[in-house]
Amino acid sequence: MLELIAQHFAWAQNPVVLARQTLAGISNGMLLFLISAGLSLIFGVLRVLNFAHGALFMLGALIAVSTAALLADPLAGFAAALIGAAAGLALLGAAIETNLLRRIYRAPHEMQLLLTFGLVFILGDAAKIIWGREEHSIGMPAILTGGAHAFGLVFPLYRLFLIAAGVIVAAGLWLTLYRTRWGIFIRAATMDREMLSALGINTRRLFTAVFALGAALAGLGGALAAPVVAVGPGLHAQVIVDAFVVVVIGGLGSVLGAFIASLLVGLVNAFGILAFPSASVVLTFACMAIVLIVRPRGLLGTIE
Amino acid sequence: MSAQHAGQLAAAAALLALPFGLSDFWVFISVEVLAFALYAVSFNLLLGYGGMLSFGHAAFLGVGGYTAALLVKQSGLPPALTLACLPFAAMFVSAAAALIIGLFSVRRVGIYFAMLTFAFQMLLYAVALKATPLTGGDDGLTGLKPPGFLAQPRAYYYFALALTAVSLYVLHRVVTSPFGYTLRALRANALRVQYLGVNVRAHRLAAFVVSGAFAGLAGAIFALVNGNVFPGWLDWTASATPIVMAVLGGTGTFLGPAVGAAVYVVLEVLISGRTEYWPLMMGIIIVILVLLMPEGLTGLWRLAMVRRRGGVGGVPLSTRESR
Repeated sequence: MLELIAQHFAWAQNPVVLARQTLAGISNGMLLFLISAGLSLIFGVLRVLNFAHGALFMLGALIAVSTAALLADPLAGFAAALIGAAAGLALLGAAIETNLLRRIYRAPHEMQLLLTFGLVFILGDAAKIIWGREEHSIGMPAILTGGAHAFGLVFPLYRLFLIAAGVIVAAGLWLTLYRTRWGIFIRAATMDREMLSALGINTRRLFTAVFALGAALAGLGGALAAPVVAVGPGLHAQVIVDAFVVVVIGGLGSVLGAFIASLLVGLVNAFGILAFPSASVVLTFACMAIVLIVRPRGLLGTIE
Repeated sequence: MSAQHAGQLAAAAALLALPFGLSDFWVFISVEVLAFALYAVSFNLLLGYGGMLSFGHAAFLGVGGYTAALLVKQSGLPPALTLACLPFAAMFVSAAAALIIGLFSVRRVGIYFAMLTFAFQMLLYAVALKATPLTGGDDGLTGLKPPGFLAQPRAYYYFALALTAVSLYVLHRVVTSPFGYTLRALRANALRVQYLGVNVRAHRLAAFVVSGAFAGLAGAIFALVNGNVFPGWLDWTASATPIVMAVLGGTGTFLGPAVGAAVYVVLEVLISGRTEYWPLMMGIIIVILVLLMPEGLTGLWRLAMVRRRGGVGGVPLSTRESR
C-alpha cells in the first residue's frame, strides 16, 4: 500500500518535473490574475459580477491574432498585438459600460447577472461571425522561445516572460490604486459610492474608467495567453469559470486577494493534474467550496 | 362559476387535449415545456418569493436527471415499480443534495449566496464529468427511455402532466401558506422578520430544499424525454436558464416563470431550427428583457390590462422591493 502511494507520488522527487510544474502553475496563475484582477476590481466598484469577462479575454486573444498578422516583423507584431488587444478591449469596455451597464446599477442582482450573461452569448457569437469557428494561434517572438538554463534545469522563456508580465501589471495596478488620485477614488468607491459622489467626484466617469481598465486587463491577458493556448470559440467558457474560482477564493473586490488566489489556483491545477490525474477539475472546485465554508467572504474579502 | 374558474377549466382542458393536435415531435417539446415550467417555478420559490438568487439551480436538475437515468438503466426493477419510484427517488436525492448545499449557502445573501450555490454546482459538474463509472463521464448516460407503456410519447405526456400539475399545486399551497408569507416577508426585510423571532436561516434552508426537490423532479421528467443526461446539465450556463425563464415570464407571479419557460423552450426550438446563431438571438432577447421589460411577460400583460381599464400606464406595478 505504502509502496503504491510512494510510486504514485514518485514525481515529487523529480526536480525537473517539480520545476516545470511550478513554473507552469505560476505563469498560468499570472494569466488568471490578469483576468480576475479586472473582474474583482469591477465588482468592487460597480457591484456588478461581470460574466462576460471571459468573453473579453477571448476577444483580446482574437484581436491579438489579427493584429500580429498585420506586421511582418514577429517581435513588432507581438508588441502591437499586446497593445492592440488592451486598447481595443478598453474601448469595447467603455462602450459596454456607457450603453448597457450604466442602466442597471439600481436593478436587482438577477437583472445585472442576466445582462452580463446575455453579453457572453452576444460577444461569443460575434467572435464566431468575425473570426470563424476554427482555432487560431500566434507564434512567440524569437527572443522568447527556447529556455533558460539554471541549476541544471531548463525553464521555458515564455513562461518566465509571462511571470514577469504578471508581476509588472500587478505592480502597476498597486501603484495606480495606492499612489494616484484615481486610485484613491477607486478604493473609496469600493467602500462607499454614495459618499464619494456626495463629495463631488464624478462617479459616472470613474465607473466607465474602471470597467474599461478591467476590460483592458482581460484583453491583455488574452493577448499574452494567445501563444500558449488554442484561440477559438470555446476559450471563454473555461477561463471565466477559473476566474470565478479565483475571485471567490481571493474575496470579491480584493485585487491582492485575486493575486494570491490566482497563484494558488494555478499551482493547484499544475500539481493536481500529477497527483490526481482523473480528478484535477474536482480539486479546484473543492478548494473553492472549502474556502467558502471556512471563510465565506474569501481570503481577503470584506463583509458586505 | 366565476371567470377565473372558467379560465382554469379551459386551461386544464387545453392541456389535456394538447397531444391530439400535435405531431410526436411537438409532444416531446410539450413535455420539455412541462419539465422546464416546473424547474422555473421551483426556482422562483427562491428568487420571487424568498429573494434568494440561486446561481446553482442546475445542480438539482442534474441530480434529479442522473437519479432518474440510473434508476431506469441500472436498478433492474420491473417497469411499474421503476415508474412508481421515479418521482420519489429523484425528489429525495435532490432534496438531500439541496440540504447539504443549502446548509452552507443560506448563511449568505445576495450575490454571495449566488456565488456559493454556483461553487457547489460546479463541484457537482466536475464530479459528473470525472465519476465515469457512475455517470458515464463526458458522454453522460444515453439511450434513456421511459419504462413500460410510457415509451409511447402521448402516454409519457400525461405522466409528465400529472406530475407537473400535482407539483405546481403543492408549490402553490406552499407559497400561500404561512411559511410562504414568511418567505415573502424575508425578501422584503429579513432583519425585521428576525426581530419577530423567526429563525431566518431555517426558513431559507427549508425553501431551498423544497425548491431543490421539485427541480430534481423536473430533471427526472426531462431526462426520460430527452433520452440522455450529460455533465452539460450541471454547467453554469444551465443555471442561468431558470433565471432567464423566471424573469422572462415575470418573477412577481406564481405561474409567470412557467409562461417564461414555455416561451423560452418554443423560441429555442423555432430559432435554433433556422439559424446556428441561437445564442446570439438569446443574448439579444436577454438584453432587451433586462433593459426594456424587467417585469417580464406577465408584467406587460398586467400593464396592458391596466391601460385598457383606463388606468394610468407606467405606474410601477411591481410590489417587489429592491434588494
